Amino acid sequence: MNWKIFLITVTAIIIITVALFAGPRLINPFVMNDTEKEILLSIRLPRVIVSILMGAALGASGAVLQGILRNPLADPYILGISSGASLTAAMGIISGITLFGIVTIPVFAFAGALCTGVFVGAMGWKRGGFWPDRLLLAGVGLGFLFSSILMLIMSISSTEGLRRAMLWIFGDLSLADWSVIPYGSLFIAAGLSISMLRAKSLNALILGDELSHSLGFSPRKERFILFLCVSLMTAASVSLGGMIGFIGLLIPHMARFVTGSDNRILIPVSAIGGGAILCIADLIGKSVLSPTELPAGIITAIIGAPYFLYLLRRKDVLSN
Amino acid sequence: MKAGVFILDFYGKKEQDSKGAGYINSMHGGRYPMKRSIIQVLVCFIFILLIADTASAKSPERIISLAPSITEILFAAGLGDKIVGVTTFCDHPEEAKQKPKIGGMSNPSLEEVVLLKPDIVIMTTDGNPKEFEQKLHSLGIRTYVFESLTIPELPQGLKKMGEALEEDERFNSLATKIDETLNAVRSQGSASGKKILFIVWPEPLIVAGRQTAVDDAIGLLGGINIGAIGQGRYPKYSIEEIFHRSPDIIFIGKGMVEEGDKNMRELSKGLLERIAHVSAVKKGKVFFVGDGLYRLGPRVVDGIQELAGYLK
Repeated sequence: MNWKIFLITVTAIIIITVALFAGPRLINPFVMNDTEKEILLSIRLPRVIVSILMGAALGASGAVLQGILRNPLADPYILGISSGASLTAAMGIISGITLFGIVTIPVFAFAGALCTGVFVGAMGWKRGGFWPDRLLLAGVGLGFLFSSILMLIMSISSTEGLRRAMLWIFGDLSLADWSVIPYGSLFIAAGLSISMLRAKSLNALILGDELSHSLGFSPRKERFILFLCVSLMTAASVSLGGMIGFIGLLIPHMARFVTGSDNRILIPVSAIGGGAILCIADLIGKSVLSPTELPAGIITAIIGAPYFLYLLRRKDVLSN
Repeated sequence: MKAGVFILDFYGKKEQDSKGAGYINSMHGGRYPMKRSIIQVLVCFIFILLIADTASAKSPERIISLAPSITEILFAAGLGDKIVGVTTFCDHPEEAKQKPKIGGMSNPSLEEVVLLKPDIVIMTTDGNPKEFEQKLHSLGIRTYVFESLTIPELPQGLKKMGEALEEDERFNSLATKIDETLNAVRSQGSASGKKILFIVWPEPLIVAGRQTAVDDAIGLLGGINIGAIGQGRYPKYSIEEIFHRSPDIIFIGKGMVEEGDKNMRELSKGLLERIAHVSAVKKGKVFFVGDGLYRLGPRVVDGIQELAGYLK
């Protein structure tokens, strides 16, 4: 098993390196002039780091969420967190508020995502714990509510912020900036490491509440902690660059296909895979129609959906 | 640097004096305030000189335009040679198509902009993201934001852009030319009181509303833009509303498609059949017009004159 993880890590590193130096204009790492250095350090590097962070957060959250909800269709966005974030972010963009300078939109999105997370948690809480089905339905319901409010705002607003808001909703990394990275990485690293430490209990949770109880885990407590991790990671990820479709759903299934469904390995592999795939998607997005940049979210969905369907035919993902 | 220090010393010292003067003034009835204001005017004047001096030291030679209207303005002002980058939508004048492209308006490529090493990037509030400006500043690239949204604001906006680009003369004469045409059109008032609808896209029906160059043009010609309902600049309009308001004249813009004359007529067929009983259609007062008014640049003048031509 270990050599597989090694191989995945090496591939991810290669992908990240390629994403840094390739693109519509190649940069030769050995001969760089000042402009190229500036582009590498102030534009490409933050962009690659943001995509790694976002992809890793989404991949890991997907894996954890599919476990705690015991549902192969769960992804971080199903909890409505991203819809809440999009709503507040779009409101921020359209109203043109610049309260916190360049990090205004991320702050708005993060606040929206966290509020939604708390709200979904409250709706899914009954008799001293989370109920997977209640969480899921509360998330779906809230998601619909927020998306329709968002649509309402967008259809009655006329400002030019609208196009920007659309781009943001599709997941746009083009304005990735160093200023957001410390906060984003802090939240994502915290969520990721806690969920990796809890991977064993997640394994037990998948077997069912009674079994995990008899194995010595408290299902309610574990589910609560893991839900917190997922909310934190998703909120941070959405606030970094908008909604990136499909990574949270697809990557954990791909990872299960390669490494099996032991969460101790699945969570880190999903994180690495998610980061690498988002890097590639962004590279493709900014290269194919250069200089017009396509939002990375569109690319992940276009590549992801067919591959997911193929996997579904090839291997019965639902039986895991 | 030395001059700056001098000014500060000078200002600080005199400021103290003038405070004293203010105190004395309250007892002896206004001999010193005069002296104080002269000093202030002097200080301001020197500051202005200094600012003007540092600005003119680096008059921009490499300009990137982030909007088609700005590209047109720059070419019209005779600065076409200084443009080093434009958006993929900048297709007018013909030379603009040959300029290096830096992406779209809402999603310009930061890398391409940096690679072109611009002295200044000219943006608009009408379509460029604010974050992009902040990002450019953090990379040490100068920007100028063109804020005019309506035709009456255009001449003033041009003058301001001229100041920012150190090309006052060219831009002032451009502004004057536009101003003159606008005045001429206004005095004609050829559409007095007529109800006009300007259709931007037939299906779904999108019309030109408030705060658009089209709305201004109709107003200048003395007409009433019945598309100006609600808040939207380009609102969705209902066919019922057309019947209800019964326009005297309908304009259909050709600018949104390639080969607009042929294609827009084709696209509008269905709509015109459905509103066949509206008086404008019955009387044959439906005109297809160019894209002059879609971009707030030098060609709005042509756009207004085109509308005026059909109103006679």
